[in-house]
Amino acid sequence: MGSLLGQIEQSGAATWIREGGVLYGYPLILFLHTFGLSTLVGLSSAINLRLLGFAAGIPLASLARIFSLMWAGFGLTAATGILLFVSDATRHASNPAFLVKLVFVLLAVTALALTWTRVFRGQHSGKILAALSLACWFGALSAGRLMAYVAEFVA
Amino acid sequence: MNLAHLHLLLNHLPTVGLGIGVGLLLASLLKKSEDLKQASFVAFFLLGLLAIPAYLTGSAAQTVLQDQPDVPQQVIAAHQDAALLALILMEITGLVAWIALWRFRRWHQTGILVLAIVTFGLMARAANIGGHIRHPEILVEGTAAPVPGWPRTAAAGAALVLDNPWVWPICEVFHFVGLCLLFGVVLLVNLRLLGFVKGVAFADVNRLLPWAMVGLGINVVTGMLFFLAAPGQYTQNTAFVWKIGLMLIAGVTLLYPTMSDQAGELTPEDRAPLTGRIIAAGSICLWIGVIFLGRFLPYLGSE
Repeated sequence: MGSLLGQIEQSGAATWIREGGVLYGYPLILFLHTFGLSTLVGLSSAINLRLLGFAAGIPLASLARIFSLMWAGFGLTAATGILLFVSDATRHASNPAFLVKLVFVLLAVTALALTWTRVFRGQHSGKILAALSLACWFGALSAGRLMAYVAEFVA
Repeated sequence: MNLAHLHLLLNHLPTVGLGIGVGLLLASLLKKSEDLKQASFVAFFLLGLLAIPAYLTGSAAQTVLQDQPDVPQQVIAAHQDAALLALILMEITGLVAWIALWRFRRWHQTGILVLAIVTFGLMARAANIGGHIRHPEILVEGTAAPVPGWPRTAAAGAALVLDNPWVWPICEVFHFVGLCLLFGVVLLVNLRLLGFVKGVAFADVNRLLPWAMVGLGINVVTGMLFFLAAPGQYTQNTAFVWKIGLMLIAGVTLLYPTMSDQAGELTPEDRAPLTGRIIAAGSICLWIGVIFLGRFLPYLGSE
């Protein structure tokens, strides 16, 4: 496992991300990761607030198109996330905050998919799903933001 | 022009503006004019935005003056504490004025009037102390120059972050939470104006807007805590200066969905007229720019 992560880190793509310079490479990927994430989490939070009863006058059907944007945001976040992981594979893989973040992301994305099938294309009110989704996003954001601090603590 | 110069240009606006705003509000009550009342609320909201760079550039001016032996550092400290207290009240006044613009209730006007008068007093006090930094001639004979006194807001804010190692990371988490709330709601509201989202009257989408203000509020508070703890890290950073500039314009664009009759009257199948769509698209781009510059802060513009 360790040698595989090491090999990933040493690959051409990983080196380029780490050492590419200011405007491309690491900072740009980091920005795209943040941008995709804020689109996904922001829109998802807005929909969750609606499901929890705020702005109850908004018909759910009118929000259906937002899902395509959220999945696009997820795609961008996941793709850039993989690149960021690759650039520092060993350290990320051994960072507990990173693993916690992955679990929360997995749960939140599952909640998003269920919101589509059970609430938008089903009969559920989605209140519980919405609350769980908000909690998971908060967990994912917190763990992600704290990764740098935990890495320092672990090392 | 440097940021210290900009401070001299900006620092009169909150005091003068509050005076005008209070005047407008009183006149609106006498004349029973809804338009004047709205104008005063808009003024308070805009002053809430303007007061932010007025404070931030003050820190930059302090950096410029800190090595000059003829400048009394005690007076600067007293001015900074007074200015931060006034800024806090100004932000509360601006927020309540925004709520009144979004959905007016009768108690708002009384609340705003009281808040604005208190803020005006605190702002004038900060300005008065600030005057003593460079103008010893205004000191009345027999009195002493101002010294820092209670409440030591700026010092307390910095100490809160610097003395507790967990405060900075927690603020980072909440700065991100606030960002997502603000950006998500602003995106949805503007996508409705652009017509990407349809089948819902704008007035219904508009009900979500306070959540964007919650996000903005979280980010102003957490952002100010970062700034108080490490002002030099920000005032010396070009990306930060641009970020604040874009944020202020983006903040102004929030007025369109908040109070435009054009937007308020959109029926479920309409999109906003061209001006509205331009503002909506501009607003989205500006907020993305703010996120971009925030993310690039450590990489762009620092020495």
